[in-house]
Amino acid sequence: MSEGPAPATPDYPYAPRFLRVNGRRMHYVDETGPGAPAPGAPGAVLLLHGNPTWGYLWRDVMPPLLRAGHRVVVPDQIGFGRSEKPHESAAHTLDNHAANVVALLDALDLSRVLLVCHDWGGPTGLAAAATRPDRIAAVAVMSTWAWATPASPFHRTVTPWRFMHAPLVGPYVLGRHGAMPGRGMYLSVVDRARFARDAQATYERALPDPGDRALTWQWPRSIPIGRESDTTTERFAWLETQVAAMRLPSTIIWGREDDVFEPEVFAARWHELWPHAEGTHLVTGRHFLQEDSGERIGEILAEFAERSLR
Amino acid sequence: MSDPTRPPATVTVLPPGRRPTDHRAVPLLTEPDLQHYPEFATFLRDAFGLDRDPLGAPGLLDVEGRVYALVFLGRSGRPFPSGVEIHALVPGLEPIDDERADLDLWAILRWIVAGVGGEWTLEGLTTTGRIYRVPGA
Repeated sequence: MSEGPAPATPDYPYAPRFLRVNGRRMHYVDETGPGAPAPGAPGAVLLLHGNPTWGYLWRDVMPPLLRAGHRVVVPDQIGFGRSEKPHESAAHTLDNHAANVVALLDALDLSRVLLVCHDWGGPTGLAAAATRPDRIAAVAVMSTWAWATPASPFHRTVTPWRFMHAPLVGPYVLGRHGAMPGRGMYLSVVDRARFARDAQATYERALPDPGDRALTWQWPRSIPIGRESDTTTERFAWLETQVAAMRLPSTIIWGREDDVFEPEVFAARWHELWPHAEGTHLVTGRHFLQEDSGERIGEILAEFAERSLR
Repeated sequence: MSDPTRPPATVTVLPPGRRPTDHRAVPLLTEPDLQHYPEFATFLRDAFGLDRDPLGAPGLLDVEGRVYALVFLGRSGRPFPSGVEIHALVPGLEPIDDERADLDLWAILRWIVAGVGGEWTLEGLTTTGRIYRVPGA
């Protein structure tokens, strides 16, 4: 783990903004490109990250969207980045995190939104979209899911996935040793040398202490895998029903090398749910595809937003 | 300086009366949800006789002369124990040897996994630790 205070992030140079969602301090950036809608006017691109990242994940995705004249809003989910990081596990239920996204939509009065979801940004963002359908105009998904079954083979394996977040092992490996933003992300990008050189320390420094990393091992526990101790099966079943009924303009973007949410299984499932969806746009990338293809993803989203939001 | 190439330390359960005096408890690791995989809770309940005395003194583990306390947690609506804290017992006001404590925690995890058994194997734990470069693994 890297030591020291959170560094300045010249490659993520946006003004920090804060609001309170469900009583918690949430950090976000809210940037506009030339010709973007005036503040308060409809139209925005909302980029939602997952575990264990923060808004920084979208640093290469944002410039093409801003150049194309879009308003771009990027929160750090509660528990990550520059947002409050509750240590108590009860704060980290799927319902609470989805409600935080609902509160963000309401607080900023966002409407006509292109919702862009990666990893846990999918279940949280899409649950929020189902709760505030009048605010959402289009959806893009990448390396994410929104259903209770079937879990991926990766998420069913004992070693390393279930071991990594097993009782006491999770708080030790992911909490005490911070494995998720370090080694975990490193193994889930294509250009590992570049990631280690340019970005890994920034992710690690955003989660400096074991208690701050609670969500990195609690979110894995919230993925239903068909066990009696699963806690989110009912919510995911509801979410799948809601998502299947969505007929918003949609696009599917995936990492060609994704071995956590394999494109031939997961992207294909999105196309079954959303036969009208565009894609799959395959780009270079494993699970954290933004690290390898951020600018290309930004270009795809900018073109999609041009057609779905204007 | 600890030597991570040494084999894992031996872990044994101590009777409650063997808690060393003039030691302070240093919290090292908290697990709020042993029921995530209930077999972990079952093993600890049996190893420390929690059915007989659920709210007695903390469980004690000896790791080659260093003693650790396991404080079991209850939570409304959940079977006992719902969670556990592992504390190092450190003499007086002496600083803790954090590297040594980290290796001892790994040894305690090995002891727990060996006791839980079934699909939870020492080989799997070691592989996981090595993938994520945990020093003790």
